[in-house]
Amino acid sequence: MWKWKKDKGDEFPAQNETIRDIMKQLKQSKDFVTYPIDGETKCVLVYFKTMVEPKIINDRILPALKQNALHSLEEMKDIISVEGLTVTDDINDFRQRVMQGHVIVQMKENDKKFLTIPAVIAEKREVSIPEVEFSVVGPKEAFVESLDTNINLVRKRLTLPQLMVKELSIGKMTKTRVAILFVDGIANKENVNTVMQRLGDIEYDQINDSSYITQMIADNSNSPFPQLLDTERPDRVTGSLVEGKIAILVDGSPHALTCPTTVVEFFSASDDYFLPWHLASAFRVIRLFAVIFSVLSTPLYVAILTYHHEMIPQDLLATIVSSRADIPFPPILEVIVLELTIELLREAGARLPTKVGQTIGIVGGIVIGTAAVEAGLTSNVLLIIVALGALASFTTPVYQIGNTIRLVRFPFLIGAQLWGLVGVSMVMAFFIAHLIRLQSIGRPFFAPIYPLRFRDLKDAFIRLPFNKQSKRPIQTRPVDSNRFNQKRANEKRDVDE
Amino acid sequence: MNKAKHNVPIPENLLITSTMVFFLIHSMQVGVGLLGFERYIAMAAGYDAWISILIAGLVIHLLLWMIYRILELSGGDLVSIHEFVFGKYIGSLMNMVFSLYFLLLSLTVLRTFIEVIQVWVFPQLNVWWYALAFLVMVYYFVEGGLRVITGMCLISVLLGLPLLLFKFFPIQLGQVDNLYPLIDHSLMDLLASAKTTTLSFLGFELLLMFYPFLKNQQESKKWAHFGAFYTTMIYLASALVAFVYYSEEQLQFVTWGTISMWKIVDFPFLQRFEYAGIALWAYVVLPNICIGLWAASRIPKRMFKKIKQRYVIWLYSLILLVASALLETRSMIDQLNTITSQIGFYVLLYIPFLFVMMLFMKKVMKRDEN
Repeated sequence: MWKWKKDKGDEFPAQNETIRDIMKQLKQSKDFVTYPIDGETKCVLVYFKTMVEPKIINDRILPALKQNALHSLEEMKDIISVEGLTVTDDINDFRQRVMQGHVIVQMKENDKKFLTIPAVIAEKREVSIPEVEFSVVGPKEAFVESLDTNINLVRKRLTLPQLMVKELSIGKMTKTRVAILFVDGIANKENVNTVMQRLGDIEYDQINDSSYITQMIADNSNSPFPQLLDTERPDRVTGSLVEGKIAILVDGSPHALTCPTTVVEFFSASDDYFLPWHLASAFRVIRLFAVIFSVLSTPLYVAILTYHHEMIPQDLLATIVSSRADIPFPPILEVIVLELTIELLREAGARLPTKVGQTIGIVGGIVIGTAAVEAGLTSNVLLIIVALGALASFTTPVYQIGNTIRLVRFPFLIGAQLWGLVGVSMVMAFFIAHLIRLQSIGRPFFAPIYPLRFRDLKDAFIRLPFNKQSKRPIQTRPVDSNRFNQKRANEKRDVDE
Repeated sequence: MNKAKHNVPIPENLLITSTMVFFLIHSMQVGVGLLGFERYIAMAAGYDAWISILIAGLVIHLLLWMIYRILELSGGDLVSIHEFVFGKYIGSLMNMVFSLYFLLLSLTVLRTFIEVIQVWVFPQLNVWWYALAFLVMVYYFVEGGLRVITGMCLISVLLGLPLLLFKFFPIQLGQVDNLYPLIDHSLMDLLASAKTTTLSFLGFELLLMFYPFLKNQQESKKWAHFGAFYTTMIYLASALVAFVYYSEEQLQFVTWGTISMWKIVDFPFLQRFEYAGIALWAYVVLPNICIGLWAASRIPKRMFKKIKQRYVIWLYSLILLVASALLETRSMIDQLNTITSQIGFYVLLYIPFLFVMMLFMKKVMKRDEN
């Protein structure tokens, strides 16, 4: 983790201003309105017209001010029927509130004391279907950009007085609202403190998305592996909270973060809990194999064809030799060219609108692939392997780890070219060392493999039925680790009883 | 009374659970030795050598018990034990000897593994570059501390398990008659053969270094013995498979028994398994080298407060690199193995001596107090 050192001196903007200075600065903007009311009540309204809801001003504020003779801000506070009014003389409050879309009322312009009336425009996207983590069965709600809506999506699934929501404001310029959610009485205090402290230590000018937070509070920011799990599914966040994890929601980001997490959690999908346990386990194992295949297939191709062709049995060797007979390149060049082509396609597809993206996929995948084989630049066998590897990398349920897997196979290719299988196993050992050393907010990232936790293995590579999941994972070190009484769950009725 | 003085405080988050001792002991014992020990043990005792393995295993359990008694009496690690028993100067000397001995263990494993790669996979391997890459990786492990190394031990044991399944192929073709008549060697032959297994069983004495890191030291005893027992069983199984597969005369010409047996593995998509087997063996030797280097570099750190372990690891890694590159020929590596085995044998003899000295010193201390 980066050591963010807070230096009070360089706060932006500078703090020692008067209301007059601020007003002067704000008046330079076209959408800033100063609206004096001159009737029985004499006062000044100050607001950004692009940030406030006109309905609130017209229906609630103006009638109240015009119909009554009010002589102090406190009287106005009682009369105006909007919730969240405050009377204060804090300059920082003034600056912050007016920028957030409050209407400020002063008895006369540049008065020190003022009343703030929240009148924020509720501009937000409708809650829609999850697109990154789609599942056929199960809830179809995904987070949106509004923090309050997101918290609502979680709260309505977890109607518990123990569900705590703490809020921070991060980013010197964006002042982004960041909420930390956890269930008091389950979540470990130490974890909560770690997260709060790391978030509090962040000093950066902007936080545009939750992925900024992931990178900034990660234990090892030089690692290609994401150390916080990001999800757009409120049901997944709820599940994590109940397990004793902590969720971080960022205003303006439709992705929540949960921590502490483990490497195996990145391969578990929400579907795993909606399907019967044997099916879910089988699919999860397939996914893990897919990832291993995706990372290792091309390096093994390079290693075996370059150095150890004796390993291929004679019949299979004939197939491979005949497909490679006219290829002018060594295996490593062949593989790198094809892998880069696939990466190119993927990158192009990700940058383009959906409809054009499909065309690119067809042109790239089918036309280039066939042409490359016919021109004798690559072999059929390799084309199959590379395409399968790319396909397998799409099976990861969490998008972030998919990116990691894309990149991780290149060091393996280098290892394979240098020392064959020995090189591949060395790169693998290096990654194992890296994974063992990684931590997610201070908890081991490679659990439950190391440290070996048999209890957590029941929801790692396979998912056992719910009546076996009586304990919350050790990984989160929950205060209360019992989900239910295991004894009662396993009582069996005798024959004919 | 002396306990407080000799205790080595380790931060709570660096401790390892007692179960992990199983993996630490086992993976440190199994190394390159397992790939070719069959020939050596059969030299003295013929095909009765499997009894020697059992004898050696028993001795290991006895020594392990002694080590635990020594550690319990002192409550510290090897460094504090030496200082307690021999005083400051001789103790320091013994500590340095052990530091170099652990380094020698690492060197032997590293160089022999590279030798295996040279013989079986890449005859033209550039030892400098390969050893450098390997040591960079080892450094990455050791720099993470004992916790990370223990993780590698666990993974090495887990990855080693499927390799055991490949013993099935030679068993299918083997002749059980090779083992008969069952006992036709004298006890001396058996003991001589047991002595040759020293190098294979070495490594458990590193418990003397990592004991303070154990969370529940009392409970770890059981796991340490399990670990040593598991090692014995694996050696026994490997020896029996080799004896069943090779005839007694043929075995004398097979340097790497296990690797040669991998050659007959045959699947529709894979044959000549030894290439993959040797690649996977990197995981088996890694813990050896890592623990050896870790223990070797920890001794100076414990002796002198000011020395940072990281710098010692650098220095020792450099020594390992240069030494493994300079040991060029097969005969030199063979000699290295013989010397390490010899020194290891003396180290094993040294443990009972230390045990007696420890008891004696405790007695003296007690009498002085009275």
